[in-house]
Amino acid sequence: MTSPDLIHELTATRPTAPIALRARVREIAVQEGAPSGSPGASFWPKLRLPVRRIAFVAVPAAATIAIASSAVLGLARSDSNIAALRPDQAETLESLDKAAPQNVPGTLLGAADQSASPAVGPTLDRAQRISATLTVEVADSDAVSRAAQKALDLTESLGGHVVSANVATGDQGSAALVVRVPVDKVQEAIVQLSALGRIASQQVTIDDLQENLDRLAKRERSVRSQIAVVTARLESDSLDATTRAQLESRRRTLQQELRGLRQETAATNAEARMATIQLTVVTPGVLNAVPVPSRLDRTLDEALNVLVWEGVIALAIAIIAAPFALLIFATWIGRRLYRRREEDRLLAT
Amino acid sequence: MHAVSLEVPRRSEPAELTFAAVAEDHLDDVYGYLLYLTKNWALAEDLTSETFETALRRWRRFDPRRGTHRSWLLAIARSTALDWFRADSRRKRREERSEAGTPDAQEHAFGETFSPELEEGLRTLTAGEREVVALRVVLDLDGDETARLLGITVTAVSTRLHRALAKLEERMRHHDVA
Repeated sequence: MTSPDLIHELTATRPTAPIALRARVREIAVQEGAPSGSPGASFWPKLRLPVRRIAFVAVPAAATIAIASSAVLGLARSDSNIAALRPDQAETLESLDKAAPQNVPGTLLGAADQSASPAVGPTLDRAQRISATLTVEVADSDAVSRAAQKALDLTESLGGHVVSANVATGDQGSAALVVRVPVDKVQEAIVQLSALGRIASQQVTIDDLQENLDRLAKRERSVRSQIAVVTARLESDSLDATTRAQLESRRRTLQQELRGLRQETAATNAEARMATIQLTVVTPGVLNAVPVPSRLDRTLDEALNVLVWEGVIALAIAIIAAPFALLIFATWIGRRLYRRREEDRLLAT
Repeated sequence: MHAVSLEVPRRSEPAELTFAAVAEDHLDDVYGYLLYLTKNWALAEDLTSETFETALRRWRRFDPRRGTHRSWLLAIARSTALDWFRADSRRKRREERSEAGTPDAQEHAFGETFSPELEEGLRTLTAGEREVVALRVVLDLDGDETARLLGITVTAVSTRLHRALAKLEERMRHHDVA
């Protein structure tokens, strides 16, 4: 028998259901409760959705929700931030405005804190380290150069000297000067330097050096007396050679210490005699170089922060869920392979 | 200018059929498939009834976009038959019964319409081979539909069918010679 004949015989002897079976199936089909309509026409909508379709819808939906929520939160937070930010900014601007043209001679801090607190000045009967930092705003780059030159001239006229000077010209010129002036002229120096332009900021620091000087003086007195004692003993003739050598060594050490104390005292006195003033002269463009971020910028920043946090949370969930998902997937694969092998075994008989 | 609406001819929607009509249309297909698979007409009848009972319960879940009524019914029939094979295998193991005395040994297992040589040839095939012969030759399912139903590739279906037919042909040739 050839294949066509075989196929013909197979199709010709196609089995037909016996009458009894047909009747039984008809009974099943028309039994009570049998659906008469088309499939899928139940009252409730179908809840079965293909996995691909779910992923196709769910992934963009999740991304949209994440972005939308970050945008909403970013908008809300930027609003609350501006509310928190504005008082500070207002305060800063207010203090700068107050500081500007109200320097009064005779007070070290000038007008910046004049109305708020009593003036703080050097105490002439005590040694102090005085440091002042001034930022003065002038109209333009040319004014920066002029102000820098005036500051240098003023320093010289007051008997001071320049430690460093850096003047940059251009669209946004600036000058940074460090000068030292006699401490008895520091008030005058600050007043005159403040008058070079509009004061943007001003800070004066005073450190007391008197305690250190007193300590040095006390130690010096002690060393001097020790040297005197040692010298007196050395003048005695009854000393043996060893003792004499030890005393001479001791006197040399004390004399060396005395020299060190004198140098330190001189340096401290020098520091107390001169005050250091750091002067910065700028144009308005430099001070406004850091603009206040706009509402849109703040919103974007906050939205980005929220997105980052959402990403972190999603990553954490993924890390936690990954082993379980892997286990479920492996179980599913294993079960499927087992069933396939079992089916092959059953159908091999 | 007039708006013209074109009526596009559509294939008759199988979803509009009632379960009774679908059962009537595909009863022979399901029974034939199960007969080939089990090589036992009595068992095939029982499994056919069981298949339609299951189909009735799942009728609401049938999705016409995923296949035809016939494929759906044959998938249920296959699942029902495999369940029976599993149960039978467990029972055989438990009772340690031999193959003798099982329904396989009955005379005219495929029914009286089959020639003795064809029936004998079919008996020599495995259930998997008879299954693919039933689906591809007797029920005339195409390769894709058969592959989807059996959960194997189209190539595997083709190979299995070729092997089954060759085996069947060889067996029947021997029978003719004898």
